[in-house]
Amino acid sequence: MIKLLHVEDDADIREIALMALDISGEFDVVQCHTGEDALAQVRDYTPDIILLDMMMPGLTGRETLEKMREIPELASVPAVFMTARAQHAEIEELLQNGASDVISKPFDPMALPEMIKQAMQKHHNSGTI
Amino acid sequence: MGQRLDAFNKHACINIVNHKDELTEVNDKLLELTGYTREELIGQPIKILYPPAEQEIATDIRRHLQRGENWDGETPLLHKDGRTLYTQSTIIPLFEADGNWAGSISARTDVTRTNELIAERHTAQTLYELRDDIWIIDSQSEKFTYMNRAAKERLNWVSEAPDGGSLDGYECQHDINEILAACRTLQQNRSAAHQFETVFMGVAVNVSIKFLPNVDNTGRYLILLNDISERIEKDLRKSAFISTVSHELRSPLTSIKGAMGLLLSQSAGELPSSALTLLEIAHRNADRLILIINDMLDIEKISSGEMSFDIQEVDLVALIAETGEANAMLQQRFGIDVQMIGMGSPVLLHTDPNRIIQVLTNLLSNAYKFSKPNGKIIIKLEEDVDHIRVSVQDEGPGIPEDEQFKIFDRFADMANSDRASKGGTGLGLSICKEIVESFGGAIGFDTKAGVGTTFFFCLPRALQDDLFTDNALEKMSA
Repeated sequence: MIKLLHVEDDADIREIALMALDISGEFDVVQCHTGEDALAQVRDYTPDIILLDMMMPGLTGRETLEKMREIPELASVPAVFMTARAQHAEIEELLQNGASDVISKPFDPMALPEMIKQAMQKHHNSGTI
Repeated sequence: MGQRLDAFNKHACINIVNHKDELTEVNDKLLELTGYTREELIGQPIKILYPPAEQEIATDIRRHLQRGENWDGETPLLHKDGRTLYTQSTIIPLFEADGNWAGSISARTDVTRTNELIAERHTAQTLYELRDDIWIIDSQSEKFTYMNRAAKERLNWVSEAPDGGSLDGYECQHDINEILAACRTLQQNRSAAHQFETVFMGVAVNVSIKFLPNVDNTGRYLILLNDISERIEKDLRKSAFISTVSHELRSPLTSIKGAMGLLLSQSAGELPSSALTLLEIAHRNADRLILIINDMLDIEKISSGEMSFDIQEVDLVALIAETGEANAMLQQRFGIDVQMIGMGSPVLLHTDPNRIIQVLTNLLSNAYKFSKPNGKIIIKLEEDVDHIRVSVQDEGPGIPEDEQFKIFDRFADMANSDRASKGGTGLGLSICKEIVESFGGAIGFDTKAGVGTTFFFCLPRALQDDLFTDNALEKMSA
């Protein structure tokens, strides 16, 4: 099972993502509604991949990832951003700053498991953090 | 008395006309003013002295005089060389002893120069009161020769010319020096005008400089500083609004579309076919809404010069194939046969693949929408030494003549209910045009009623550096 930490402030999107990931049967999912909550969560749970919403109240997705990278166990865990502001320049910047992939909203829930697995594969192939 | 008349004669232009409105006497002052000789005027109708467009004034004056009334007012006079002069005139009717109309005598004062001075003063006053800062600087001494009120206030220049109009010693010296440097460059390059945006004393301004040459190779710089901070703030607010719209609309749409996607996959349980049909309709329309939002965001990005491009070497044949596959659902839905011509080998060029796919998708989805069921679409790729041409041909009804001229306008197809019912946003072709032109290309169409339409776009094989610099490159760097 792939241990996935999903950080998203929108409860409906959390629910849809959880259903989609459950259907694939390959993910063990822990969900948080804020970056702060996620940072507390990772003290006891080390994920194989992190799925982060970009725009959240409090810590943004980017800030959450920056703080997670300071935790040695999470320094090289692949991270995928989900954003409704998928501009080419922003995507490029996120990728350069440690994101393994960027998923644009709205996304196809049935394609989500595959997208996450591809991002993990890409991350492992590139050997980047 | 004779001396008084002499003085009057020297000050005023005098003429007398008879009952037939013919000039019978003119004084030297009138001849001097109008450029005629006495022989040229005597016996001529008075109208010879009025400009052709002002002939009615002679009729009006005559009406007054025949009623025995004096006429006072400004009258234009025509100089022999065609110039229009202005005189303040008093015209007095003349009658015979028996009371019959005998003509009139006119005394006129030249007010042409006075009028010009008033106009100049009015212009100067307008400039002085203008909201924009105006500076005039002597090109040699680089000292102010003029500043309007706005400029004086901004520079806190309280007295008229405390230091001979010097541009030195200001707190904002760095900002002034930047404008002076632009002035010098303008003169060195022998350009007539230059315009740029900068920050002057903490305010965003548009600076327009014009060189006003004197005859002796010297000159003056006319500099206009237009405060654009309001416009910039408005643009920022607009961008923030668009950004918010983007996020706030897409997030609920993510849930709507996601929930429907899961239901359609039947992973949440099996649904009756009628419910599935309704869900498909809702899902399709959620897609349409996403398209509209994306198109509106693209249009905004184009308008603000923020459309981003990711230029790379791509195989156009592969892009066309990819677009075709991505639209396979439409092909299936409309039962259309798609033929590809000219795609036997790769065609490489430097462009933004995603934007080209966007253009192709637009043209292709239009072709599907307007094709007859089980019709045919031909995608053709042609190339010559310099250009690559891609066309999408359908067998639809063709574009009505009265819609053709506006087909690339924003919301062009929304005006027509039939087109609107096809599900377009009315922005697609406008976006296509902007994208293709950003790459130095061109887009167009051929259409025939009842036969079909071919949309095509041409791209230069090599990105033209200058064109790309002027268009897309600026947008890329934005």
